Amino acid sequence: MLEFTGLWMALVTFLSIWCGHVGVRWLEAHSPNIRPPIIILLVSGITLNVYALFAPNLTLSGVSSIIGITLMWDALEMYRQQGRVLKGHAPANPNNPRHAAYLAAGKAITEDLLDREPQGSPVEQPTAARAQGAPAYKQYREVEA
Amino acid sequence: MMWEGIALGLFSFGIIGFGFFWVIRMEYHLGYLWWPYPMTLGILLVVLSLFTGNAGWSALLGITGGSFIWGATELKEQAVRAELGWFKFNPNPKPNPPGLRWIKKIKAPHL
Repeated sequence: MLEFTGLWMALVTFLSIWCGHVGVRWLEAHSPNIRPPIIILLVSGITLNVYALFAPNLTLSGVSSIIGITLMWDALEMYRQQGRVLKGHAPANPNNPRHAAYLAAGKAITEDLLDREPQGSPVEQPTAARAQGAPAYKQYREVEA
Repeated sequence: MMWEGIALGLFSFGIIGFGFFWVIRMEYHLGYLWWPYPMTLGILLVVLSLFTGNAGWSALLGITGGSFIWGATELKEQAVRAELGWFKFNPNPKPNPPGLRWIKKIKAPHL
């Protein structure tokens, strides 16, 4: 008889990484303040892991824990994504007041530099993105504080 | 209490972390055109998980397979990241994957 537990786990692993990958980018780009979604992601992740402990079978327990741990990682990725926007590694959303402030301060770009095909040689990226980096992120945080 | 489920969650966390490692290394040394190979490996692991006869082993193989399939879709974007200078770019010529002619006919997946 076929054992379907692995198939479920594979689907959940793949889909939770995919949803996290796309979801974090969207959520960070559309949240004026990233703290509320981070708290929601963390609480949901912890809740799912607690449920995993009491689930009636291994499949449901594994699925809950995989999604739960992925959501907790996504909470951390929200901060990392904000850092990417400030480095010009992810596009800023001018309609988001937080991103609009980054753009006004010259700390971000609206172009998605990843939206291209590999060409096999190094690519010159826009000066705004190249000139920034982690120090610029820290400078902005200091200005904000 | 079902600690095995939490163990599977932690295992998936670890295997995704390993995914970061191998995607970067594979793109650096071989190039993104090798993407069908980790994808095939992932699919084979998932198929194998159906025949283990044990839920635990099946789950571990399934998680590993799912992660390899995802990693295969990340190789192209990793190649772009390296070209942009966000990761170390390998200036040396990369080996062609077996079946390059067919691989080039399919657009490398990217999600």
